[in-house]
Amino acid sequence: MSDLGEIESPEILKQSQMNEADNQNQRVEDEDVLKFMDSLDAYLCLLHSLSSTLRQGWFDFASARYSMGASRVNSALLDLKEHPAPTYLEVRKAQGKSEIGEPHFALCKWGSCATGDSSETEDSDVLLLDSNSNIRQRYKDTSKAPVEGSNSPVGVPSTAADDRVQKERSKSLAVFGTLVSPKLRAAQLSFETALGTLVEIANARASMLSAFDQGFKTRPFRPGTAEYTRNYTSTNRKRLKNWSELRSTVERPRRPRCNATRTNDS
Amino acid sequence: MANKPQIPTKNSALIAMIADEDTITGFLLAGVGDVDIRRKTNYLIVDNRIFSVSALFILPFRLQSASKLNWMFDVILYWCLTAKCFTCLETTVKQIEDAFKDFTTREDIAIVMISQYIANMIRFLVDRYNKPIPAILEIPSKDHPYDPAHDSVLSRVKYLFSAESVASNRY
Repeated sequence: MSDLGEIESPEILKQSQMNEADNQNQRVEDEDVLKFMDSLDAYLCLLHSLSSTLRQGWFDFASARYSMGASRVNSALLDLKEHPAPTYLEVRKAQGKSEIGEPHFALCKWGSCATGDSSETEDSDVLLLDSNSNIRQRYKDTSKAPVEGSNSPVGVPSTAADDRVQKERSKSLAVFGTLVSPKLRAAQLSFETALGTLVEIANARASMLSAFDQGFKTRPFRPGTAEYTRNYTSTNRKRLKNWSELRSTVERPRRPRCNATRTNDS
Repeated sequence: MANKPQIPTKNSALIAMIADEDTITGFLLAGVGDVDIRRKTNYLIVDNRIFSVSALFILPFRLQSASKLNWMFDVILYWCLTAKCFTCLETTVKQIEDAFKDFTTREDIAIVMISQYIANMIRFLVDRYNKPIPAILEIPSKDHPYDPAHDSVLSRVKYLFSAESVASNRY
């Protein structure tokens, strides 16, 4: 009895270890699949949001063109002199994923970068709402309200940063003349919001593709899944077809039937 | 993970755009327009316009009452305008392809934003592209709403869901 216990316990231990490893792998796989589905959902929701924001921007743009005239609002007035883009991106590796090739994009609007994307979009949404109600109120709010995160460079007060942002915005609008329609300013804000949403979409896309590569591409096919059904059964079918064709062409000598039963040794 | 591409960190990367006039102008108002020393821009306006045909209707009235010299001048002018009337001032597919290849090979561009209907014109190029940076984002346009079925990213993962629905029908 004691000998039997000594013989069985290493096997039982090994079996339990294998079961634990399987469970852990299963958990990791489920996490990958969940992450992929979450990022896919976020991607689709953000695209829907972008569509509505862009629609608002086009509508405001069309209203501005109607009030100012088509000759004052068209692409022929665009400045082709050398100038850098005041709004740009920062590209970094995603946090905690230094081994995986997943980029993270951060938007720097008018030369100032925000730490988080959500704070950036909230801020621009507030500006958009204010512009619809009263233009003067919007300017007052932006000068008074302190911006969250590190929107201003180190050592520069927030009012100076806001003034710089307003200056850059005015410079951008100045292409269409000194006195512009409020609808054009509203269109500018709509497109700024759309830009923030675009950067979030880029991050969701990177996360989705990374989760897809991790969760589905590297894993071998498991029985019962669609990939297994599609790949293995069709491969088996092809193999059988080739074997039957080969068998019909090649004449093999028939083996005499053996009545002896298999032994445990064989 | 040995084959994963390295992500280059950039402090100031641009957003490139290939879209219609209103979309480009709107995003330029948001401050993403860049023009370098060689006057190379980070955007391409895809134009689909046909020259006005109104000149075709004006000149025949003038030809009736003109003197001989004026008549010859008017005939030449009429034919020139007729030729121009049927000229479409549009951006060609080759120009769009060249712009896409240029933007995806530039090191200072992190995102390439392209209208989905324009991406459909160069679908083979867009689907073949698989680098993480610059990221290709397909956006809707005024006349063509966003269609998830044509999105290059979603089409890569679409086979999972279509295969799953087939499997559920079998079992």
